[in-house]
Amino acid sequence: MDRQEVAAPPAAPHRAAGKARLRAGFFFAALAASCCLGGCISLPQSEALRASAPQGLPPRAELTQVPFHAQSDFLCGPASLAMVFNAAGISAANVESVTPMVYLPGRQGSLQAEMLGATRRVGLLGYTLAPRLEDMLREIAAGTPVVVLLNLAFKVFPVWHYAVVVGYDLEKGEVIVRSANRPRDDWSFEFLEYFWKESGYWSMVAVPPGRMPATATEPEAAAAVAALEQAGRQSEARESYWALLARWPANLIGLVGLGNVEYNLKDLPAAERAFRRASEAHPRSAVAFNNLAHVLAELGRLADAEAAARTAVSLAGPSLPETQKTLEAILARRKQP
Amino acid sequence: MSTSFIRLVSRLLIVCLIGLPFQVSAGMIGTDQAVTAAQAQAARNAVLSQISRADVAGQLQSLGLTPQAAADRVAALTDAEVAKLSGQIQSLPAGADGELLLLILVGVLIWWIVKK
Repeated sequence: MDRQEVAAPPAAPHRAAGKARLRAGFFFAALAASCCLGGCISLPQSEALRASAPQGLPPRAELTQVPFHAQSDFLCGPASLAMVFNAAGISAANVESVTPMVYLPGRQGSLQAEMLGATRRVGLLGYTLAPRLEDMLREIAAGTPVVVLLNLAFKVFPVWHYAVVVGYDLEKGEVIVRSANRPRDDWSFEFLEYFWKESGYWSMVAVPPGRMPATATEPEAAAAVAALEQAGRQSEARESYWALLARWPANLIGLVGLGNVEYNLKDLPAAERAFRRASEAHPRSAVAFNNLAHVLAELGRLADAEAAARTAVSLAGPSLPETQKTLEAILARRKQP
Repeated sequence: MSTSFIRLVSRLLIVCLIGLPFQVSAGMIGTDQAVTAAQAQAARNAVLSQISRADVAGQLQSLGLTPQAAADRVAALTDAEVAKLSGQIQSLPAGADGELLLLILVGVLIWWIVKK
């Protein structure tokens, strides 16, 4: 890594906030003026939030416990991640330690996919939020800071920047943001949305294993936990599969994934329980029966294993080659004296 | 030795380093196949995924990472993320700089409005 300078000391908070307000004011004046002069900029999400407060959302929240890491040069990706990693309990994370996991020298920046990859590498669940300001606020209300991707310039000449949203106030219509070398800025919803919308309203959270993001949906949450497993964090993935299954008890990816993780962690009885649950909840899943057969065979229960393997083969599907191999291996073992 | 040969060798090495991330022991089917079970091409996808992983790792290397760092970083990505990165690393958003441009932009906006 060629860019690992020591982070600059943070600016005085009140001064930064004052300047931000001034800047936001300028921006608003500019926005209002440009609207009056025709060519109105549409900021639908801010408008909707100002029109009516979402149900069940507290009027304000601020995660003051989220520490601040100042960004130097092009390191807003690592700085933003360091803040949310700290908030999720990885207290040792800082800009220097995160940079090699996410910063790409040739691009002088950090890619979105790698922001999620680095999150998995430290053993946290990385989750991309739905592109809604309301979802962002719900995550913050649930105690999770949110990383946002902003385009600070123009569509044709984008300048991408990551920042961390740590609070909001519905009445004032503001979010509280840690960005670049500013530990606490107030931005109006409109100010945020204007820069945010060109990333397709992209934002992510990093939550500790064993927790689900407040706004998670079933397929996205399952894929996020499977990604944590794939990144090699088996025991963290196990906790996250538990959390996934606590919310969606019949999720196939959750049940098969939990079984696979238990198997990798050498807990065969737990693996059997997971695959059995999977095969009961999804009697048409060849994968569930195949893996159940495999675990039963390892436990020495060959008759049960054969029955499960036969069911797996009878279900055909894309995993037929594997299920046939499983059945053959079990039959060969049963023939041995 | 030509650069293309070196590139080929380093790509092969990356493939070796990456391995099969979801590989459980023989006979078990990985979670990724449960994820893609709906598609009839799970096995073909796995092969394609290995190729694009090596490809993306090679591109990361050309952007200043060591082979080991590139392999480690690709290993933390999902197949979908790798597919998205493949061939687009130069054009996808890379979040970087902050303050200065924000101020310039506001300045330009005000100037534009005043002038108009």
